[in-house]
Amino acid sequence: MFLGYKNPPIDLMKEILLMTHVFLGVLCILGALWVFVDTLNAHDTNLARIRLVSRFVPVVMTLGFLIAGYWYVNIYPADKAIILKGPWPFAHDFFMETKEHLVLMLLLLTLYLPIASSADLSSNREARRLTLWVSSLIVLTGLMMEGEGGVISMGLRMGLLPH
Amino acid sequence: MENPRLSSNSTAFGIALVVASIANALLVAAKEKSPKVLGFMKGLTGHHWITHCTFIILLFLVLGWILSHINGNKGIQMASGLLNATVVGGVILAGMIIVGFYLIVG
Repeated sequence: MFLGYKNPPIDLMKEILLMTHVFLGVLCILGALWVFVDTLNAHDTNLARIRLVSRFVPVVMTLGFLIAGYWYVNIYPADKAIILKGPWPFAHDFFMETKEHLVLMLLLLTLYLPIASSADLSSNREARRLTLWVSSLIVLTGLMMEGEGGVISMGLRMGLLPH
Repeated sequence: MENPRLSSNSTAFGIALVVASIANALLVAAKEKSPKVLGFMKGLTGHHWITHCTFIILLFLVLGWILSHINGNKGIQMASGLLNATVVGGVILAGMIIVGFYLIVG
């Protein structure tokens, strides 16, 4: 036993993978929020920063997506069985089912962000508007993903309680 | 001076984003309602979600590339305001289809 784990290397790796994907999701949301705020005040001096951060967003999102995908395919089935037998089956039936498909839209939005923000945002009103919409959709969808993740982990916790 | 035009890549990949998002939502409904579709998707990569993601990401990238290279490499033409509305409306609609499907049917 180490830190309460029966098989420390493998059990710890599962926890680290889970927390890393949440952390990368938060970085993605913060990056998109940064792009949104900087785009509201777009001028010649912050264009390079907007482009840099808008490229950072799909990088962290893709990393988080790959880690989450590995976790979902290889580790989640055991958790799913516990959730479905517990008092909160909707944590999988609704929240995980929507999350696993909405996250794909989030990935596409982040891939599109650097394309939308590649124009001269200080002089192009429509490109500015498009970047604002895309970054705000990333923030809102990202927050929704974080919330759904919270309900799913709560569903697992409820399933582990004696009932 | 204000420049009202969007680049050909913005337009092409914007439309590809909407098409891929709607296809993502429709594929959810198809595989949840048809065991044949689900079985076929599982058979391709070993897991339906991996096949689903691969197809949608490839659709976005390939369609975006094609649309940005048509018209003699000028890309697809579309009014900027219409593209903005299409991207926002399309993505929100796709999200609503997925949420609505699992709320009502799933």
